[in-house]
Amino acid sequence: MIKHNLLLFFRNIKKYKTTFFINLIGLSSGLTCVLLIALWVVDELEVDTFHENTVYQIWNKFETPEGTRVMTWTPPVLPDAMLAQLPEVIYATAQTLPEWYKNTPLRVNGKTTKASGIFAQKDYFTIFSYPLIEGSKNQVLTDINTIVISESLAKKLFGSPEAAIGKAIEWDLMKTQATHQVSGVFKDIPSNSTTQFDYVLPFEAWKNAIIHSGGEINWVSNNPATYIVLKEGTDAKEFASKIEGFSKLQNEDVTADLVMTKYSSNYLYGNFKNGKQVAGRMDYVYLFSVIALFILIIACINFMNLSTANASRRLKEIGVKKALGSSRKTLILQYFSESILTSFIALLVACILTIIMIPTFNDITGKSLSFELDLVKTGLVLSIVLLTGVLAGSYPALHLSRFNPVSILKDQLKSSWSELWIRKGLVIFQFSLSIVLIIAVLLVSLQVQYVQSKSLGLDKDNVIYFGEEGRLKQHKKAFLEEARKIPEIVNIATTSQNIIGADINMTAGMVWSGDQEERRSRFNELRIGHDFIETMGMVLKEGRAFSKKITTDSTSIIFNEKAIKMMGLDTPIGHTVRYGDIDYTIIGVLEDFHFKSLREEVNPMFFRLENKKRSSELVARIAKGKEEIALTKLAKAYSQFNPGYSFDYTFLDSDFQAQYVAEQQVNKLSKYFAGLAIVISCLGLFGLATFTMERRRKEIGIRKTLGQGKTQITLLLSSEFVKLVGIAILIGLPISFMLSQNWLSGFAYKIDIKLWHFLSAGVITMGIALITVITQTITASNKNPIEALQQE
Amino acid sequence: MLLELSEIFKWVTTGGNRTYLLKGINIEVQEGEFISLMGPSGSGKSTLLNVIGMLDHFDEGVYHFLDEPVQNLKEKHRIELYKKYIGFVFQSYHLMDDLTVYENIEMPLLYQKYSSSERKALVADMLDRFNIVGKKNLFPTQLSGGQQQLVGIARALISKPKLILADEPTGNLNSKQSEEIMQLFKKLNEEDGVTIIQATHSEANASYGSRTIHLLDGRMVKG
Repeated sequence: MIKHNLLLFFRNIKKYKTTFFINLIGLSSGLTCVLLIALWVVDELEVDTFHENTVYQIWNKFETPEGTRVMTWTPPVLPDAMLAQLPEVIYATAQTLPEWYKNTPLRVNGKTTKASGIFAQKDYFTIFSYPLIEGSKNQVLTDINTIVISESLAKKLFGSPEAAIGKAIEWDLMKTQATHQVSGVFKDIPSNSTTQFDYVLPFEAWKNAIIHSGGEINWVSNNPATYIVLKEGTDAKEFASKIEGFSKLQNEDVTADLVMTKYSSNYLYGNFKNGKQVAGRMDYVYLFSVIALFILIIACINFMNLSTANASRRLKEIGVKKALGSSRKTLILQYFSESILTSFIALLVACILTIIMIPTFNDITGKSLSFELDLVKTGLVLSIVLLTGVLAGSYPALHLSRFNPVSILKDQLKSSWSELWIRKGLVIFQFSLSIVLIIAVLLVSLQVQYVQSKSLGLDKDNVIYFGEEGRLKQHKKAFLEEARKIPEIVNIATTSQNIIGADINMTAGMVWSGDQEERRSRFNELRIGHDFIETMGMVLKEGRAFSKKITTDSTSIIFNEKAIKMMGLDTPIGHTVRYGDIDYTIIGVLEDFHFKSLREEVNPMFFRLENKKRSSELVARIAKGKEEIALTKLAKAYSQFNPGYSFDYTFLDSDFQAQYVAEQQVNKLSKYFAGLAIVISCLGLFGLATFTMERRRKEIGIRKTLGQGKTQITLLLSSEFVKLVGIAILIGLPISFMLSQNWLSGFAYKIDIKLWHFLSAGVITMGIALITVITQTITASNKNPIEALQQE
Repeated sequence: MLLELSEIFKWVTTGGNRTYLLKGINIEVQEGEFISLMGPSGSGKSTLLNVIGMLDHFDEGVYHFLDEPVQNLKEKHRIELYKKYIGFVFQSYHLMDDLTVYENIEMPLLYQKYSSSERKALVADMLDRFNIVGKKNLFPTQLSGGQQQLVGIARALISKPKLILADEPTGNLNSKQSEEIMQLFKKLNEEDGVTIIQATHSEANASYGSRTIHLLDGRMVKG
């Protein structure tokens, strides 16, 4: 019996090759999509979840006139205070942000290597599950003179993790140099960790360095991130509300409340709205899951549609089988096994395609996914395939097997209206989904384009920045002089911070009209060197930039437009503001420039001249087309001051692009997916057209013998499909309108949705659909009518 | 007695009017009979054959097949009954285009409990008997109409039924092929004792039977 059914199955495939291949291509590409997206989604969901403890991050929440702000920066004394005063807290640590000390120099035996480091307290390796190869997790950071390094850093510096233990490493950060002994080696941080670092230094050392460079360690200096682990059985929600005012109780100058989030949730829910954690990347996880589902549904619809069409062709088989004594159960079983078998063949193809496409997919998404099936994933995939097979086979299996064999064999069975409507309905549904996807792609790519071409208020091209390291600190002036001599360097300047990427320092305490309440307003602050505004290509709206010739500029201040607007100053130039007990005179107003992602509004911001003592970053503008030569010369100048150091720089432009990585990925991926969706839909439409033409052969024959022309027949046949796609467009447009509005509302600066976006998507869809069916209708109308009529 | 129909009625209702397809049919069939059903198109020949073959239900009356009351049987039981005792031969053969001659003949056995070796033996026998061993690997479309019907009959006979129901078995064949098929039926009836009921238009074909029943508008009429 099984052999028999298999034979029928394979001979059917041979006979209706087109149908089978449409099914196979559609289904397997749909499944490939689903597999790839599933891999991506699972990977996203697993980020930061490998820590055994439930780690919570404590954030500072500020109420400002512009709304609530939640920041990573917390008082460096917070962790110890929590540990001492809150019995629920069993572990707590401060940790400096990994982006602060990226590619910083470490020296071993006079040789300099650059690596990224963090400072953390003694329980760091107990709190986070970064397994140690050497050293024990509660010992490695207890002594102030220790350093814990990663496996690959250990290999690089000392050859092996064992050899590294006890060796001395010299570090040089924040004007502090010190030599520490390697106390432990940890396994390299896995790529699905958001915190990435190569070495860890004791937090005490950081405190010393801060004090040494003139900073303070207290409740109002907000710097490191704080992580805690709670005692088992603690109600996290209750605890979070209990500690909200914790810092304020410690010190009366504190204005921040505390917010607590799960560390593992920060990656996917990275945005805060009114002090509450809301979705961030999770939106994309949802988006892609929905896309995967849509594509699978579209492919399944094809399968269903074509198998119903195919099943009507096989009615005779059902009739004969029933007349020969086959029971209904046998038939149901046969059809289900056929459709499930087809889905499994499709799965096989999909697996191969997935394996082939993973490298490209990784390129686009910036992930390192691999196609490894564990038990859960296998189960998931198998159930998807089983479901597809059962869905697709349900119609022939349950509906057709019910018929009386006599009427089937006598050809008395006309396809019912409901069957026809289901089939049409499925096509409409399919194309509605396709059009939603097309519009989504169109708008996403337009928005990404807009973001990239929008005037930023500064010229981000050809600007590099690099850290002030080693002897550069003492000889900054000389180095700047040297660099200015290079003809390919247009301009060079210092700044307290790079303006893109990392959060710019936030500060409060500015008073502009004498009202002390104004102190609460928060500004971004940048301390810059001379020429910074010129180097960055920022545009002055009023007044002037800082000048070397004017000595009073040390008490001059420049605001951006947004700040002036917020302060409500009509004639800003010459106005005096008070900040940190010093009066500053406003000398210039800068046009707003975007230093954050266009998702966010520009913040009020001010610039002061660099306080000479602090360390800083350097920015340089390079003449267009002379990048290579300029960089070589700059590197040479750099190495004169810092022998043994490598000259590491970053282009501002690439940092800028990095802010939109997610959007660019979505842009690229959605193009592929929407393309696939429409191809699969068209495959289905093609199959259906073929089938319809076959069924209507007699009608076409009669029409032709009665004298109807070819063109008329072609039009008649095509119009049926045009109607379906037309309805689909009408359904799809409003849905995509709502969806796109929703997506764009996440951007502070966005494109306007125009009618033509939707119309063109409609026209494209209709065009593709027409091309798909018209070949079939023309062939059908060209057939000799006698043939069709004779065969009846 | 093989089967007995008494006062069988079958009708369809269209717009509140009943149209009778079968009207008070009374037939007794003994084992070994060869009966021809005659009548013009629409007289109810096929309907009657389908009712006898349990492919179609009837609305009123009593039908006993080997003393089992067919109208009271559950579908499963009815299928058991007809797949064991009844074979069908159709005017348009109704062979499966996607199966070879061999596989077509084998098909009814798949729905009964036969081992694969038994099936092999039975099909080989049948091919032998009908002289179509050389064609066993061909597909129906590669055969002439007469040969196709031969396969159809072979398929009907494979499960050793007591009763063959043939609906215009020669309707699509030329006269020479027709005669061969009818001779075959006659031989089956006389030598193997298979009971045959055929529906036919042709007097010539009817004459092969031992008894002829005439139908008109769903009623039995005296020839």
